[in-house]
Amino acid sequence: MSSFAILKLEYGACVEALAEALRTEDETAFFAAVDHIVHMREPGMFTEIRKLTGDLQKALERFSIESRLQDIAENDIPDAQARLAHVLRMTDEAAHRTLDLVEQSGPLAERTAREATALIDQVTAYRNRTAEMKGFEGVVRSIDAFLPVVRSMEAFLPAARADSELIRRNLADVLLAQGYQDLTGQIIRSVMKLVEELEAALSNLAKLSGDVVEHATLGEASQGHGPTVPGVTKGEVASGQTDVDALLSGLGM
Amino acid sequence: MKFLVVDDFSTMRRIIKNLLHDLGYPNVSEADDGKTALPMLQAGNFDFLITDWNMPGMPGLDLIKAVRADTKLAKMPVLMLTAEAKREQIIEAAQAGVNGYVIKPFTAETLKEKLDKILGPGK
Repeated sequence: MSSFAILKLEYGACVEALAEALRTEDETAFFAAVDHIVHMREPGMFTEIRKLTGDLQKALERFSIESRLQDIAENDIPDAQARLAHVLRMTDEAAHRTLDLVEQSGPLAERTAREATALIDQVTAYRNRTAEMKGFEGVVRSIDAFLPVVRSMEAFLPAARADSELIRRNLADVLLAQGYQDLTGQIIRSVMKLVEELEAALSNLAKLSGDVVEHATLGEASQGHGPTVPGVTKGEVASGQTDVDALLSGLGM
Repeated sequence: MKFLVVDDFSTMRRIIKNLLHDLGYPNVSEADDGKTALPMLQAGNFDFLITDWNMPGMPGLDLIKAVRADTKLAKMPVLMLTAEAKREQIIEAAQAGVNGYVIKPFTAETLKEKLDKILGPGK
């Protein structure tokens, strides 16, 4: 079959339909026939248009992701940095406040214990000394000997009460200082949410660009990895001091 | 007995300092990383080094290597007190020459036990 014969076969029916529509003045049939002919003539064009529409849609999506990413980079990340710096400050303050109170209370408790010991010694000495005192004269002498014990008690008891009250107050303040956990926890949670959003946006962007995302490595090993975070830290990790001791004794330490 | 405690967190330094005080070692100096600690060790008469691992500037592992390479300090007892708990890190620290390795969070008993073990009976 010649190439023109093929054309005749392909277009013949369409042209006939076009002629028929003209003759019957059927507008719908006329445009349908024209569309059909155009389709037959430019099959690639429509594929191309479809592809362009897809690309445009992707570009728009990409634009919206990129503008959110820009927003995150310009506003949310510095904001998160400031929030984390605040967390660091709060934990630092709370730890120092607690340590201050502990350091202040330790000597008070020590002093009370020391003075109580001295008083106990004094009472024991008094008992030993007065054990053999007999008769009226003995009672008088034992009362005389008891006077310094009473004076020591009078000095000790108010001091012990004051020290204990101060320790009690310090303990209450230690309790209050732990409130930082709640506050910093909330801030950390908000930063975690941002990181989650950032991760989603970046992975969507990577999908749109078809890029392979490589995981960034976290610095040199000699710098250390920081505290073990369950579910995050990879590799073999000692679960506690017992593990460490077992490992080291295995190495001959 | 003079201690040098090296940690980038001042709170952790205070905690260790307090514990050492309670254990009968009141003579404690502080440094916030290896870079600050090394000249202090070279200049002062320290008897014991307690160091963290993960610190900006010079990390603890590099500090220990520097201490072991220094003829004057090579024999100094070193305790690593760190949150680093990876198996290969503990081995690396042992190879670098630590005398003890305690992971955070730690207890006063663990610290005492390791110090006693390193210093031997009679301190």
